[in-house]
Parts: sequence; C-alpha cells; structure tokens
Amino acid sequence: MEGRERGQTRVLLTTLGRANTTFILLSFEGPDRYSMAGGLGMRTAELARALAEAGYHTHVVFVGDPWKSATETSMGGRLVLHRWCQWVSKYYPTGVYQGEEAKRYDFDESAPRFVVDHLARPAIEAGRLPVIMGEEWHTAEAMCRISDALHQAGLRARALLLWNANNTTGFNRINWGRLGYVTVITTVSRYMKHLMWRHGVNPLVIPNGIPGRLLRPARPRDVAAVREGLRKQVVLIKVGRFHPDKRWVMALETVASLKARGFETVLLALGGIEPHEGEVLDRASSLGLRVRTVTGTSPSVAGYVRAFEEARHSDVLNIKSFVPLELLRALYRASDAVLANSGHEPFGLVGLEAMASGGVAFTGGTGEDYAVHLQNGIVLETPDPEEASWYVRYLKAHPAVAAALARGARHTAGGYLWSRVVENLVAKIEFLAVRQDLLTPATTPPLEIGEEDGRVGTPALAAR
Amino acid sequence: MARDVLIYVVVHQPRRLKLPAQPIPFGASAQDVERCLFDEPLNERYFRKVAATCYRPATEMFMELVDEGLRLNVGLSFSFLHQALMWDPALVDAFRRLVTHSNVELIGVEPYHSFILLLDLERFVARMRWAQDRLAQLFGRRPRVTDTTELCMSDPIYAALDRAGFAGSFIDGRPWVLGWRAPSFLYHGGGGLKLLVRHHRLSDDVGYRFSDRTWSGWPLMADTYASWLRQASGDVVVLAWDYETFGEHHWRDAGIFDFIRRLPREARQQDLRFVTASEAIAAHGAGSHHLALPVFPATWAGGGGLEFFLGNPAQQAVFQLMLHVYNKARLSRDGRMLDLALWLTQSDNLHLIQWYGREGTEAEVSSYFTPEEWWRLGRDGIVREIQQVYKNFVGALDVSTARGRPVRRGQPAPPDPEVAAFVRR
Repeated sequence: MEGRERGQTRVLLTTLGRANTTFILLSFEGPDRYSMAGGLGMRTAELARALAEAGYHTHVVFVGDPWKSATETSMGGRLVLHRWCQWVSKYYPTGVYQGEEAKRYDFDESAPRFVVDHLARPAIEAGRLPVIMGEEWHTAEAMCRISDALHQAGLRARALLLWNANNTTGFNRINWGRLGYVTVITTVSRYMKHLMWRHGVNPLVIPNGIPGRLLRPARPRDVAAVREGLRKQVVLIKVGRFHPDKRWVMALETVASLKARGFETVLLALGGIEPHEGEVLDRASSLGLRVRTVTGTSPSVAGYVRAFEEARHSDVLNIKSFVPLELLRALYRASDAVLANSGHEPFGLVGLEAMASGGVAFTGGTGEDYAVHLQNGIVLETPDPEEASWYVRYLKAHPAVAAALARGARHTAGGYLWSRVVENLVAKIEFLAVRQDLLTPATTPPLEIGEEDGRVGTPALAAR
Repeated sequence: MARDVLIYVVVHQPRRLKLPAQPIPFGASAQDVERCLFDEPLNERYFRKVAATCYRPATEMFMELVDEGLRLNVGLSFSFLHQALMWDPALVDAFRRLVTHSNVELIGVEPYHSFILLLDLERFVARMRWAQDRLAQLFGRRPRVTDTTELCMSDPIYAALDRAGFAGSFIDGRPWVLGWRAPSFLYHGGGGLKLLVRHHRLSDDVGYRFSDRTWSGWPLMADTYASWLRQASGDVVVLAWDYETFGEHHWRDAGIFDFIRRLPREARQQDLRFVTASEAIAAHGAGSHHLALPVFPATWAGGGGLEFFLGNPAQQAVFQLMLHVYNKARLSRDGRMLDLALWLTQSDNLHLIQWYGREGTEAEVSSYFTPEEWWRLGRDGIVREIQQVYKNFVGALDVSTARGRPVRRGQPAPPDPEVAAFVRR
C-alpha cells in the first residue's frame, strides 16, 4: 500500500516525460554477452530496457560485441544500442575488459563527440532534454569531455549529466574535482555515498534494480528435486567472485561450524575464475571439508540433481558449469541460507536477487540498503562465522520465522524492480532539472527536495 | 659579385603523433596501428590552417611570379603530399601547375622528412630513388637535384646521394662547414654530385628575421635586399626557405608577400638573374670547388649541427627509439610496418622537443612548432607520451615480427620488402 501511494505521488511529480526526455547511457559493459562481465552489464541492460519500456528514447553507448552491427534498434525505435570500440574489440575476443586500456582510450577519444553531435544535439534541437549518464570509472573522462564539448557548442546548460559509481574500483584514476564539477555524481547505496565523501563529492543515491522476471516464483517441484538430490539437513549457497571482499572463507567456516554441531551441511559454491579460489579451496581442505567440483553438467534441473546425487558425500560443491537463471532461482529457494555475506558490497545484487526468488539472504552490513535484519533477511554484523552459523540454526529451529523472512524479502524485492528504480531516477532527474533551471520550480512540490539527504542542494548540484 | 640567384622553397607538413599515446591492440593490423600512432584530426586542422594562410596564397603568388619570368626551385615532402592528397586535392593540382611550369625546377626531398639518412644509408638511397619515381608519377617531373631532410649534409650523406645518381644537392653555408670559403660558389665532395651552398645569412634575413622588429635590418625592403644579394661575391647566391615562410612563419600583415612580389623587379634593377638548380649546375658546375665535408652532418636548423635535434636527453631517447622501431620493423619483414617505422623516423619528432630543458630563440622556434594541443600534458608529459608512442609501436611489432620468416643458415635472405605497399597509394 505504501509503495502504491509513493508511486502515485511520483506520477504527479513527473513532468519530465517520454515526450521531452532522451536518456543516453555510457558504460563499458552492456547488453551483449561479450559485454557482460559482472553486475554492471546487467544493470546497464536492464536499466536501458526499463527506460525504453517506460516510453523514453534511450541510447546505450557501450563496448559491444565486435561482430554485431554497430547500431541496433529495438522496442519500436525507443532503445538504440551503439556498439563502441568495435575496431579494438575485434583484437580482444574474450570480453569487454580484455584490452581495457586500448578500449578506454578509444572510448574517451571518440564517444564524447559522437554523443554530443549525434545524440545530444539532435535531442536538444527536437526540444528534448538529454540526460547523459556515465557508469563507472571507465566513463569518467568521457563524461568530462562531453561536458566540455557541450559547453563549446553552447549546449551545456540544456543537458543533464550524471555519473554513477557502482563500485570503488578505479577511483584512484578519477579526477574528482573535475568530474564533480561537470556532472551530478550518483551511486547505488548510502554506504557508497559515505565512501565517496572522502573524495570530496556527495553522490545522490539511486539504487540498483532487478528485472520483474526474478519475482516469478520458482517451480516447487524444482525446489523439491534439488532438496531431494542434495539430501542434506542444511543447504547453503554462495554466488560471487572469488575475492576476499566476498568472504568466501567465512562461508566455509560457517559450513565447518554447522558440521561440528552435527548438522549435515552442503555449500553450493558458484564462484568465478579468480585466483583467490585457490586460497578458498586450501582453507576448505584445512577445515576438513570435502570439496567436489561439478563440471560439464547439463544445464537443467534434472542434470544438476543427478550431479548432486553423485556428490552427496561432499560438503562443498564447487560448481563450474553454467547455471541458468531458472535453476539458480530454484537453488536460492531450496537453500536454507543464501550467503551474500560480503565484507564490502557497494549494493549487493545477489542478495536482492535471492530475496526476489524467495530465498533467505544473509547479507553483510555495507551497501545492502534493502536488507532489514529479521524483517526480510539476516544482516550479519561481523565476519565471525559463528554469527552466520547461529542464525542458520535459529532459522532451522524457527521455520515460521524463515518463512516470514522469505515473504518479507519478496515484498522488499518488489520495490526494487527496474520500473520502480526508473521512477526514482526520473524524480531525481526532475529535481536536478529544476536546480539547473531546466524546469520551473512550480512544477515540482517541495516535498521531494532533500528527502534522502540533507546535503542535496550543495554546490555539487548547482547549475553548471 | 654573384649575378645568379637561386631561390629554393621546400613545402613540408609534419605528420604529428597522437598524444597522449594510444594503446595499440595486440595483433592490430597495420591500418589500425597507424590510426593509433598519428593524430590525423589534429594534422588535418593544422593542414587546413596553413593551407589557408600560406599554401594557397603563396602558390598563387609564385604562379604569378613564374609567369612573369621568375625562376624558382620547389621541393615537396611526401609528408605534405600525403596530407594534401587526403584533405585538399585541389591544392595538389595547384602545386602540380607550379612545379610543372617551365620556369620551375622540382627538387627532391627525403620523402617523410625522416632521419633515415642517419640510420641506414642503403635505405636512404632507396627512399630517395623512390621519391624520384613517385614525383615522376605525380607530376611528370623527375628531380635531378635534391634536398635531404632539414638540409642535412655530411660526407656519408653526400656519398649516398652521389650513388643515388643525383646531379646536385644543398648544404647550408655555415662557417664551421665552409671555413674560409665563400658560400656563393658551387662545391663538390669528391664525387659527381654538385653542392649548392645556401647563403645562411641572406636566407635567414628573410626566413627568420623578416618580422623581427628588434632586428637592425627591419623593416626589410625588396630593394635593400636586392642590393645585399648583389654585393655577395661568387657565382650564385642560394636562398633557401621553408615554403611556410610566406604567410605562416611571417604573416601576411608583416608584408612578406609584398616583399617577394617586389623582389624580382628589384633584382633585375641590380642586374641579377634568377636560375634553377640545374641551370646553376650547368653554368658553374664545371668550376666547382672541392669541399671537405664533415662527418657530423650540417643542417639549416638551429646552430647548424645536429645538436638542434639531438642536443637534449629527451631527443636522444627518442632518437634511440627511432632506431629500435626501425630495426624491429625490419625484422618483421612487413612492408606496411616498415613504412610506419619510417614515418616514425620523421625528424619533426625531435624538432618539436628541442625546447626540453632549454631556453632562447631556438627553443622558442621549437615551441612554436609544438602543437598547442599538446601543452596541456606539460613538458614532461609531452616527452613521456612521445616516447610512449614509440614503445607502443615496438610492442605492436611483436606479432608481425613473429610472423617474419626465420632465415636459415646458408639460405639466401628473402628480398627486403621495399615498402612496396604504399607506393601504390
């Protein structure tokens, strides 16, 4: 009910509409498989799609698949993909970050002029407001150059420029003074906002989102089949890169703790290809955990159930095969806990996805603004595996609480659908447009101003 | 008193590097390597600017003058022609009309304005012959007399040009080269090649000092200058200037066009006659004098020696990098990569950083030629990024070097690809 009221309020506030706004997203990662390396690619793809679905003209300039067409239009012409750096990417076939420096140079050099001449200027001439949003450190320089080029063309005051940080990676390569002067800086959580204060900027928080398909319930028979295949008293799952920030070792120690207390436990480990994996597996060995690597499995529920049956005596299943989304949602749902227990998490998309699937997420206590302890999940306050172990045992002992958490989790996740995030984004952009004299203040009630943070309205937002 | 006056003008635009250095994708094709090395938008901007202030009006002026009887000698670097063909074909046509005029002699120039003449004399000879062929293709004229790069001349360079079959070349008439000799005679270095000696002082009166209001000779008038020419002793006074002297180094407002328009008339008043290089050699070559050429090259730049190009540590480092890119490109046996390496031996890449760690008029001249877009990098940044361009290219040669066929002992080496690919451009 609360969400509905808020939604109605935003509809009333939204005076920047489909007819007069063009979104231009700049990102290294994007919708192509070639361009998907982590959460950023998904974010860019889903945000662009959500904007286009909401009726906005949306352009995405990203390091696209070099073997696809340079430009691709879909959704009735509202979504246009501009694959950039293709001439460089053809020498780097494995993915978006191979040849990163060569791509970044080309992106900085050529994308700004294209954005200004071929996207922003035509939009302005058509009476539209170009909202140009850069993602991550790779686009910081390009955003500065876009601002400069718009300024030279006498168009700077007629465009909104935002730059978003999804992570702290590459912060040492950003000229914060310059970037903070020419763009409105945003980020995905209050935790990130606080981290970024030390760089002299005060970002607005616009959270990440999830696609609506994640809210569809997992098929009960798949969930049951997974549980049956595993035949363990406690099933844990962890998804994420092998990186110390993700606290993989803590997850293993949680398994060991539960085993020591007589709980037959298995951890489904879906990691990456990072070298930290070696350290993680070594720790598993030292804890006496039996690790089995699962590879070459057919990407179906039946295939994985067979693999799980063959590995019943293992404590950790190190899954190296592709896990389709439907199966992943069933795994989340079938688990007693989704260990999204990172020590540093800018947003924590895995926790939110697990919540959407009806799983019980054990998050860390950093960027996961969506998580409220014992209302929609478990928020771990320490790196102590005994804390996680205790809550697993608590929920096993109180299944009604676990069920309530799962319900709360799905309700919370519903507020983070991309369509809702777009509403949030548009409202903030409207506010920024007022601050930049692109809209008359009369169109916007004062209610929204300063709602999230008293610092909004500092010189960082002054008309540029 | 000399009666003959030879005017030689050389047209050149550097092919500027792309700074900051662009990383070159591993395994990149020569075409993609090229786009990483050179800043063509920057080059186009400068080219069009100089075309408007100098090339078009100066060529128009010289056409009128040669129609009226002025004898003129013109050299064109391929660095200039490469850019003109891309961005202003009509300008190439204008130069074609000029250099094919019966009163004009086309002079050879080291095609990329490179320092290959310091790195590999065999290649230098081949490049000069290539330039002859290419000029013959473009303009229907095959130069008999040639410039080099920055008027560099030395004993080895002389030997190379002599072997290449040229009838004559130029040398700047610096006192440390000539000693007690007067510049206005023809010389030779022991071979058949005749040396036309640029009159350093009289040339620089126009080339450098014409706009200098602190110079005692300012303002220089055509009648005064003609009288100075008349007073020079010897057979032929050789005046050599950058073509860009007219409208670029000296702006139109300084009166440089009016000065040159007036000069032929004033020279006639002094009973002087203008000659082409071949005419000068025909008239005075038989009586040419021996000149013991220095092993260290002389040049018309700066103080007259290579310290202008190799005088500071930054230049010395880039020169070493020129050697490395050239030698590694040879290993690759890839004609297109070798061609790019030759572009990277362009002397301008040393000229443009002469100011590093220096002050004074020469540094000011060097700074003037440094693209203003580069200065935001700072002095150290410019030097660092220039070096990085070379280092990137060395890395980019890895793939093509690996592809280069190894030569087994006892097996004849495959023919060195003579940069054939770009000849057809």
